[in-house]
Amino acid sequence: MVKTPAASLARSAVLLLILFAPSRAFASLGGSSASVDADRVHAEGALMRIVRTDAYALHEMRSAAGTMVREYVNASGTVFAVAWDGPWLPDLRQVLGDHFDEYQAAMGTARRARRSRGAIGIDGPGLVVQMTGHPRAFSGRAYVPALLPQGVSLDSIK
Amino acid sequence: MIRLLLPTFILAAAITPQCGSSSTTTPGSTTSSVQNFQAISVNAGPANNYFNGAFTTVTVCVPGQSSCQTIDGVLVDTGSSGLRVLASALTLALPQQADTTGAPVVECLAFLDGFTWGPVQTADIKLGGEQASAVPLQVIGGPGAPAIPSACSSNGAAEQTLDALGANGILGVGLFRQDCGPACVGVGSSNPGVYYACPASGCKITAQSLVRQVQNPVWLFPVDNNGVVIQLPAVATGGALTSTGMMVFGIGTQNDNPLGAAKVLTVDANGNLSTTYGSQTYAGSYLDSGSNGIFFLDTKTTGLPVCTDSNDFYCPLTLQAQSATIRGVNGATSAVTFNVGNLDALNGRFTAFSEVAGPNPGSFAWGLSFFFGRTIYTAIEGQSTSGGVGPYFAF
Repeated sequence: MVKTPAASLARSAVLLLILFAPSRAFASLGGSSASVDADRVHAEGALMRIVRTDAYALHEMRSAAGTMVREYVNASGTVFAVAWDGPWLPDLRQVLGDHFDEYQAAMGTARRARRSRGAIGIDGPGLVVQMTGHPRAFSGRAYVPALLPQGVSLDSIK
Repeated sequence: MIRLLLPTFILAAAITPQCGSSSTTTPGSTTSSVQNFQAISVNAGPANNYFNGAFTTVTVCVPGQSSCQTIDGVLVDTGSSGLRVLASALTLALPQQADTTGAPVVECLAFLDGFTWGPVQTADIKLGGEQASAVPLQVIGGPGAPAIPSACSSNGAAEQTLDALGANGILGVGLFRQDCGPACVGVGSSNPGVYYACPASGCKITAQSLVRQVQNPVWLFPVDNNGVVIQLPAVATGGALTSTGMMVFGIGTQNDNPLGAAKVLTVDANGNLSTTYGSQTYAGSYLDSGSNGIFFLDTKTTGLPVCTDSNDFYCPLTLQAQSATIRGVNGATSAVTFNVGNLDALNGRFTAFSEVAGPNPGSFAWGLSFFFGRTIYTAIEGQSTSGGVGPYFAF
């Protein structure tokens, strides 16, 4: 196949689209591995490292505001888990992607008389979110149970 | 020994406030003669939906003037810094902070379970006999607050109402002088987006100098300004309808707030220490009167089952004695014991429990359950105390 300037231009355009498209289009959790880069660009962050195991690839980035975000990509290129820690929350709308609305809704229903005010534990069939911390120190993780690769311990998502 | 002496003194001081001031001078320390304490109460809170929350009363005044308002039902929170008051609880008109262009400054502060959004205003803050003058605070929500920017709502759920917050406000008497600190002074992408300037054209993240940030009022007191002491009596197994304790301002500044035998555990830059449970040590641990339980680890690690109706809490069939060691950055350690009870078996009308605990994978949040029966000192960053310079926790 002959590379034409037009094809090259089209490829560049696609790349630009990936980098600068509205973040929701490249939502992280449950999204494609392209969303990892979108997240990094959105956070104006720096890619710190990529760790590959047999079961997944871990992309670790540091946001400009100093929060570490780790995204776990399975063999089919889907982000199945995210974890974070740092002085400020990451942009949860960006990091949770299409699951953010579900997260907000779950936080709403958690407002019962005897609710936890100290640790967040959302344990739904389609989304698990666990968070702890206080202003200047937050950490947490979120994953989609159905997307977890076989044999991956939850202890490794942190 | 100190734990026994302290309540007696405070009780005596509370009964005869005019005698709460002592002029006895300890060599090397400054002794003030201001009433440096006020009561805190563990109850259902102003929304009648809370348990294990310590509430107190705060008086705010127009800076330099005698028009004041006393607001009760304000949550005492050693896990945050700065005063926040619900707009719906505030009837006093306070001056609005503006940026150099005259645009109002509005804050978005993320807590774990949601965020508060609302204008930064200024007040004199009175607690006990102490006063901090012209202090920036946050007014939460209200009709005057601009629409919540999407970058703010990205923090999760809005806690803008009495029902959501469960309190008329939050009194952050934590480890830090400001709620944000140096990160918010900077411009550009390193700014975490806590402060916004909101002209008519819309809200944009703004750089906010330290003095203009929402302030922990305690460090701005003329005296007794190096930290707070939270003291709650022990509650029996099974809990209590309510509980009443004391919040004392200053550490080692008056006869009612000596460190005594309390162990000083310094914290890292983010306010955390570590906890060893079994053979494992967990970083990212903290003490927080604003958390309503001891949230730690998970069922797999602790063997404690969660409740059938809620994954938020543990519900062992019988009371389970636990032990752990809390370690400061300075290497000092404190071995602690605590109980975990069955939340579902506790009296639904009661609001004060020492055995309420829940899961928190990989971490320890020592919430209000841990405070009962203890005297817990929170020293503010950069402030000198008889136990060294803050920030630290001591107990």
